[in-house]
Amino acid sequence: MTWHVSVELFEAYDQGRLDPSRVMAVDAHLQACPVCRGAVPVDVVWLDRSWSVVLDAVESPATDRAERVLQRLGLPEHRVRLLSATPALRWSWLASTAAVLAFAVVAAYTGRAGAETVQLLFLIIAPVLPVLAVATAYGPPADPMHEITATTPLAGPSLALWRATAVVGVSMAMGLVAAILLPGPGWYALAWLLPAFLLCVSTLALATAMPLRVAAGVFGGAWLAGTGALAVSGADVSPAFHEPGAQAGYLAAAVAAAAVLTVRRRRLDPGETR
Amino acid sequence: MSIVSIIGLGKRYGATTALAGLDLEIGPGVTGLLGPNGAGKTTLLRCLATALAPDSGRIEAFGLDPAVAGQRTELRRRLGYLPQDPGLYPNFTAFALLDYVAVLKELTDAPRRRAEVCRVLAEVGLEDQARVTVRKLSGGMRQRLGLAQALLGDPALLVLDEPTVGLDPEQRMLFRALISRLGETRTVLLSTHQTEDVGALCERVVVLRQGREVFDGTPRALAALADGRVWLSATAPDTHQVYWRNADGEYRTLGARPPHGEPVRPSIEDGYLMLLGPVATEAVR
Repeated sequence: MTWHVSVELFEAYDQGRLDPSRVMAVDAHLQACPVCRGAVPVDVVWLDRSWSVVLDAVESPATDRAERVLQRLGLPEHRVRLLSATPALRWSWLASTAAVLAFAVVAAYTGRAGAETVQLLFLIIAPVLPVLAVATAYGPPADPMHEITATTPLAGPSLALWRATAVVGVSMAMGLVAAILLPGPGWYALAWLLPAFLLCVSTLALATAMPLRVAAGVFGGAWLAGTGALAVSGADVSPAFHEPGAQAGYLAAAVAAAAVLTVRRRRLDPGETR
Repeated sequence: MSIVSIIGLGKRYGATTALAGLDLEIGPGVTGLLGPNGAGKTTLLRCLATALAPDSGRIEAFGLDPAVAGQRTELRRRLGYLPQDPGLYPNFTAFALLDYVAVLKELTDAPRRRAEVCRVLAEVGLEDQARVTVRKLSGGMRQRLGLAQALLGDPALLVLDEPTVGLDPEQRMLFRALISRLGETRTVLLSTHQTEDVGALCERVVVLRQGREVFDGTPRALAALADGRVWLSATAPDTHQVYWRNADGEYRTLGARPPHGEPVRPSIEDGYLMLLGPVATEAVR
């Protein structure tokens, strides 16, 4: 480079006193000439700060709304990544919560209108939804990356439990929100929660002896068959939900299943497939 | 020095025997596994990567037994595994995917984890693709991303199931450069269908057939199995042996000498075919 920007020209450029065509000429020269570029006065602190903001924006993956909510609930950032990273989990969250809400709405309005069949259907089907979510929370075939996940040090019962808890927790919380928001007597929007909790904990307890989705099939199927048969036989199914005794029974059974799960939790993920 | 000991490893899938009592010692450097489909390569790698429990026999790596839960976790801390079908989430960006696997590998501290993700992205030459979703990456880029996740946490043992599949020649060359560099300080076990990969990368090659080891030695020794069995001739040999017409219009024959056949230096592929191909039975015995 044979020509450099003179001190006077630089001053005029820096203070914005040049006409546009000369500004463009100096700009073009600065891009090509490291010597003159070096002479441009720089606020180092400002530059460093801007650069680190850019780096952060480029390097850190975007956190979506669900992740921010979980972080606000007090979960550490790495745990949130773990929970929100499984697409199967996310889809099952969306699907189950949306379905639960839709069912709650339907039940509330048809309940008012006296459509007892739909109400009954809600009470029978709603507890199975979180069980479906649990079935897709961990392991193949719901997780296409399971082969990689399963061979990391974090794989194992605690990861399976964390994921299952997350999906069950979200489905239950959404159900509760629906119960509060919806009009009408509301007991049937709440009444499925304990049966659902019982089915989920029992599924996880049974999953210590067989694959998760088989266990989910056993309890989900048993529930549907049992309540379905009761409904078809013409018996009144609703006392099974709104009687305090029945609800206490669900709770007691869930506590028992939780005890089994606690004792046998190490077998929840055998570590290596056979 | 042996890092991995495989003793009498057996695995069956119903009536099919995948591994039939395999014994193998693996030391530092790059070891290649060759063999036809169904020879047991993937089963062996899955067992070593703690994804699959064998029916019989045992594995010991770094003195750790993966059949014991605590030791299995410790082994996983030192392991990088690229499965044949990694199943990388298509809606994740390259960065987010590696970030997720890094959490699974116990890198809980966010700034350290980010630095590690950037390091492996640069290692496989994907730093420009950090924000691109897996769905939009080319096949070769996905394969490199698969390798990148195996490199997270700088593991001492790398288990790579067909790492060069789906790569074009230039990408394969980059891959070879990376893997051979890794092999200088680590133990790398990889399976492949490419005999060129073995020649270019591996100090040692193990050939499996029907769950058994049929060869263990250097790539040169594998090629030497076909010494004096590869011929070039101007006319097509009148035999039932394997031959083909090469680009120069000459006939390359594997097996007994055809009329006017000139001996040729065998390639690794020749040695491999002698071992397993149709000529194997009459040639090896």
